[in-house]
Amino acid sequence: MTATGTTRVLTDLDVMVAGQGGDGSLTVANLLGILLGRRGFHLYVARDVASRIKGGHAAALMRGSLVPRGSLGDRIDLLVAFDAEAIEKGGPRLADDGVVIFDASDGPADRQHLPAGARIFEIPFARMAVRDLRRDLFKNSLAFGVAARMLGAPDTEAEEILAQRFSHLRPEVAAANLDALREGFAYADAQGLGEGASPWRLDSADAGDRILISGNEALAFGFLVAGGRFYAGYPITPASEILSWLERRLPQFGGVALQAEDELAAVNLAIGAALAGVRAMTATSGPGLALMQEGISQLGSAEIPVVVVDCQRSGPSTGMPTKPEQSDIGMVVHGGNGDFPRVVLAPGDPTDCFELGVEATNLAHLFQGPVFVLLDQAVSQDSMTVPPFAVDEVEIEPGKVLTAEELAAMGEYRRYAITEDGISPWAVPGTPGGMNLVTGNERNEWGQVSTDPTNRVAMMDKRMRKLETVLPRLPRGRRFGRADAPVGILGIGMQLGVMVEAVELLEADGIAVAGFQPRTLWPLLDETAEFVEARERVYVVEHNAEAQLTHLLASVGIPRERLVPILRYDGIPFRPGELAGRILAEEVGA
Amino acid sequence: MTATYAPARPIWCAGCGHFGVQGAMAHAFAALQIPPHEIVVLAGIGCSGTVQNNLGTYGYHALHGRVLPTAAGVHLANPHLTVVAAGGDGDGYAIGMGHLVHAFRRDLPFVYVVMNNGVYGLTKGQDSPTRHGLSGIGGFDAIDLGLSIPATGFLARGFSRHPAQLQRLMTDAIRYAREAKGFAFIEVLSPCVTYNDTYASWEQAVVDVAHVDDHDPTDRAAAFAVTTGLAAEGKIATGQILLDPDREPRREPVPAAEDLRPAVHASAYAEILDRYRV
Ligand SMILES: Cc1ncc(C[n+]2csc(CCOP(=O)(O)OP(=O)(O)O)c2C)c(N)n1
Ligand code: SF4
Repeated sequence: MTATGTTRVLTDLDVMVAGQGGDGSLTVANLLGILLGRRGFHLYVARDVASRIKGGHAAALMRGSLVPRGSLGDRIDLLVAFDAEAIEKGGPRLADDGVVIFDASDGPADRQHLPAGARIFEIPFARMAVRDLRRDLFKNSLAFGVAARMLGAPDTEAEEILAQRFSHLRPEVAAANLDALREGFAYADAQGLGEGASPWRLDSADAGDRILISGNEALAFGFLVAGGRFYAGYPITPASEILSWLERRLPQFGGVALQAEDELAAVNLAIGAALAGVRAMTATSGPGLALMQEGISQLGSAEIPVVVVDCQRSGPSTGMPTKPEQSDIGMVVHGGNGDFPRVVLAPGDPTDCFELGVEATNLAHLFQGPVFVLLDQAVSQDSMTVPPFAVDEVEIEPGKVLTAEELAAMGEYRRYAITEDGISPWAVPGTPGGMNLVTGNERNEWGQVSTDPTNRVAMMDKRMRKLETVLPRLPRGRRFGRADAPVGILGIGMQLGVMVEAVELLEADGIAVAGFQPRTLWPLLDETAEFVEARERVYVVEHNAEAQLTHLLASVGIPRERLVPILRYDGIPFRPGELAGRILAEEVGA
Repeated sequence: MTATYAPARPIWCAGCGHFGVQGAMAHAFAALQIPPHEIVVLAGIGCSGTVQNNLGTYGYHALHGRVLPTAAGVHLANPHLTVVAAGGDGDGYAIGMGHLVHAFRRDLPFVYVVMNNGVYGLTKGQDSPTRHGLSGIGGFDAIDLGLSIPATGFLARGFSRHPAQLQRLMTDAIRYAREAKGFAFIEVLSPCVTYNDTYASWEQAVVDVAHVDDHDPTDRAAAFAVTTGLAAEGKIATGQILLDPDREPRREPVPAAEDLRPAVHASAYAEILDRYRV
């Protein structure tokens, strides 16, 4: 933020809207998002909800910035607090000159949670007319009026946004909301905040064409465009949106999405569909992935292509279901009984989710085995603005699926034929002449169960060769910061956006840092080792207590002594300044 | 003709009931003249879970207890295929029991054959849920369970020593599923001569409901009265226990036949993208 005289020109601001009653009560966040979006701000939106159906405390956190950002900021500039708990939670993060719009129906705000310089509007909602409006709607529209004044938006623009947002409501309800908005203006007038009188003004820029989308939605979309036509899942936070998105969309494209009776069924339903040649996916979170382990091993052994998505949440066991963590790395990379090849992709934002969703779907088919996509709650459920996905550029790669003609031209067909690249031609059921046996038992080339030691070794080696075959095409990581710096920072998933910004902050403090986000987590690519080997030390940013990523890097021979884990496991994502501060403290000691 | 795998010779003990089940399947496929490439036989894990190797069709060896969701996945992906799931009573009634209820409830048109021998054959003789019979304390009757779920339309029980009845039931079940009428469930009393030889006692106990006067397979309540009534006398109902005569064929999507090329769907995909524009 820059100040010109008494006017602060906002180029980057954080808003928090919080109160009781679940998500629907936070509409003001959407309205403010529209206002910011119209001025070319990029948005990052997170929700912080209790794991309850209705009620419970909920917060919408939104950052608007003219420079695209991949995380929330450190400080809240505008806090819309519909209850005292919102002040308690948001107050400590409020900027020194932050503004609070507070529902003072139950009394004045407890100022001990707020910085001394904060400005607070205590609105006695309870004493204002509710008329025939739902109370939460009314409060949102009125609060939006005050917030729009604070952000220096013209009243007509605020009215336009409200009309746009509520165009689906009955005209009487929309009109009543407009009245509530105007009550907000009147209240602001009475507080000396007339139209155009705000000390704040929103800057603007041309941001170009953008979409606002969450990682879960982007991933499901990528799967669809890459030809995904079968999905089975069992509801679990934070993966459920993938199920609901595909339940809505797949039937429109001749596909099937289905809620299974449990995760054992989900993974086996996907196995069945994949056996029949259809591109299949399942998604879950840690507890569900634990139940799927036997199925995942089956994918590896029987050579069946399924995309398995893990939207990680805080563990162990049921943990903190709505909170992010990156503590399934061990399970995803090493889980399942026995040795089998697998690929693990790790997207860091919605663009990655779309692209890696496409890649995983193609790759599973090419490689005939399990391909994981590893997200975390923040990547899954936070939404951000990104350039529209390059849907037109997606290609469907069929892999070694045989047509009836190709089969007919073969003298004989063996499902598990030992090939140089490890991948066997595949006749799916229904193809004349391609009858074959698929099994997770060790077997010979014909699919007949075998414990012959020579065959066993040949089969294991064949399966493992598939990884070598796909290695060249596995997605490369993303680099940022100063390429030649002796200090590095490395992390996956939700760390991406925070790391990019922390690197800028550190640079401003005179510490040059090179950043790297591996997008293929398994097999670890040479580029990851090279990144570490080119530095004196690399901070590995992870949300878990055991430094799982650090151990994974060390397990492939990356020098452990150069890795400095920066850990967090309190369920709250890093903010850029916090992360920069942690690294700064290490650097001072280094 | 492309040569594929040669169907295996069964690995079962001489006299194992599972031979009869395989025979009935082969008979039904032939009787209905289904080309082998249109058939997928999926089997669980157990001695019973080797039947898919012996038939010359597409075959899949499912995880222990998971044959039902796997078969459902195959069917949903390509309803043009004839899907036959099979497995033991340990596979279906112990580790996989949760799925049976949902298979009854979902009523997807495929066949499920349980080879009930009251024992875990492959792991050498441990008790299965039906070790102590189908009725009474400790017993379990899957047909009665099926009768209690409103969606079921085809429930039958055979005995592997009575091949004519079993072949008829198997053929009817496969036809019913191929006509997309719904889920067809057959329990086969399939004795394990090695660990739980029940041939003699079952021979004494079985009663074909076709010979029971008040049996009407189209009347769920009457069917339940017949099966539980026979059980009370120490008997086991076999034959066509439930058959819903009023089934219309289901119409289902065929994901396996979809044109996946993005160009074909370009405008629909662009529309989805538009919904997210700010
Ligand atoms: C998850 C798992 N647990 C245990 C086993 C070991 N196991 C193999 S077959 C079997 C039971 C087989 O009994 P049943 O299903 O009745 O078939 P039968 O051999 O009698 O035909 C068991 C427990 C396994 N393969 N997988
Ligand atoms: S052990 Fe029992 S079930 Fe297994 S093959 Fe022998 S007789 Fe059949």
